[in-house]
Amino acid sequence: MSWELEAVLLVLLVLTAIGAVLVRSMVATVAVLAAFSLFVALLFTAMGAPDVAFVEAVLGSAFVGVLVLVALRSTGDRPAGRDRRAAVLGLPLVLVIGGALFYGTTDLPARGDTEAPAHAGASRAYVERALDDTETPNVVTAVLADYRSLDTLGETLVIFTAAVAALVILFRRSTS
Amino acid sequence: MIGRHPSENVRVVGALVLPFVFVFGTYVIAHGHYGPGGGFAGGVVLAVGVVLARVILDRDVGDRRFPPGLGIAAMGTGMLLFLAVAVLPVVTGAELLDYAALPGDASASRLRYLGILVVEVAVGAVVFGGILTLFDQLSRAGDRP
Repeated sequence: MSWELEAVLLVLLVLTAIGAVLVRSMVATVAVLAAFSLFVALLFTAMGAPDVAFVEAVLGSAFVGVLVLVALRSTGDRPAGRDRRAAVLGLPLVLVIGGALFYGTTDLPARGDTEAPAHAGASRAYVERALDDTETPNVVTAVLADYRSLDTLGETLVIFTAAVAALVILFRRSTS
Repeated sequence: MIGRHPSENVRVVGALVLPFVFVFGTYVIAHGHYGPGGGFAGGVVLAVGVVLARVILDRDVGDRRFPPGLGIAAMGTGMLLFLAVAVLPVVTGAELLDYAALPGDASASRLRYLGILVVEVAVGAVVFGGILTLFDQLSRAGDRP
């Protein structure tokens, strides 16, 4: 994918992120963050990760917004007051952590580099053998649901446990 | 927020879109072997479909179509299904999650293919149920007496 498209998407990401901070209404923030999620999903697609983009699009830009809107019904649309101390403390913190992360990316292998350490071990075997082993053309699915299905079982247990915990908390709040 | 939407346009368009959302969600789960998506994304799409129904339909109609306990039931069923597929190979003497050892007279690769399908459906049910439960609990939090 061309670097121009990714550059445009990155600029849009920064603009929507700034917009989400600047808008005064909580509902508007939710809408802008949904747009942010959609641009992230487009960026994932441009980077060749449609599986991740799909989940980001349906979860980040569709469902999380709905969930926050429902939660706002009980808290109201008033944004919290601006705290000047937060800006004084927050800005250097963001710059330091963000700078460290950017510095870290310089040591990562280039995207699509076949010699990268991540492609040297098992992942090559997955790509070569997935179709014969599991009759599944989508290697991502074969890895998630077959080769590494123990991880998926763990993740599903985490989702299940989190939902049950949220259920218990919300149920208690609504009956008391 | 939930219950009959005041605008007729929203109700009609929502009702028209609804069946296609469910067909698409099912397709995403079943088609995970061949295209992007799978249980997780498909489960979210199905849950968003029910959320849409909750937002546009009459409260009674929505609850009759999709009972309030649906989320919890789907969540538990999916989790049990996944655990069953995980443990079943152990019973027949193989390793945990080795779908090739699942009972059935098909080739090992075919059994693994089917095992993946069952796992996708199970993950879809858990995600669908979990998300729907969250929405239902949040949206009804203030309603209960």
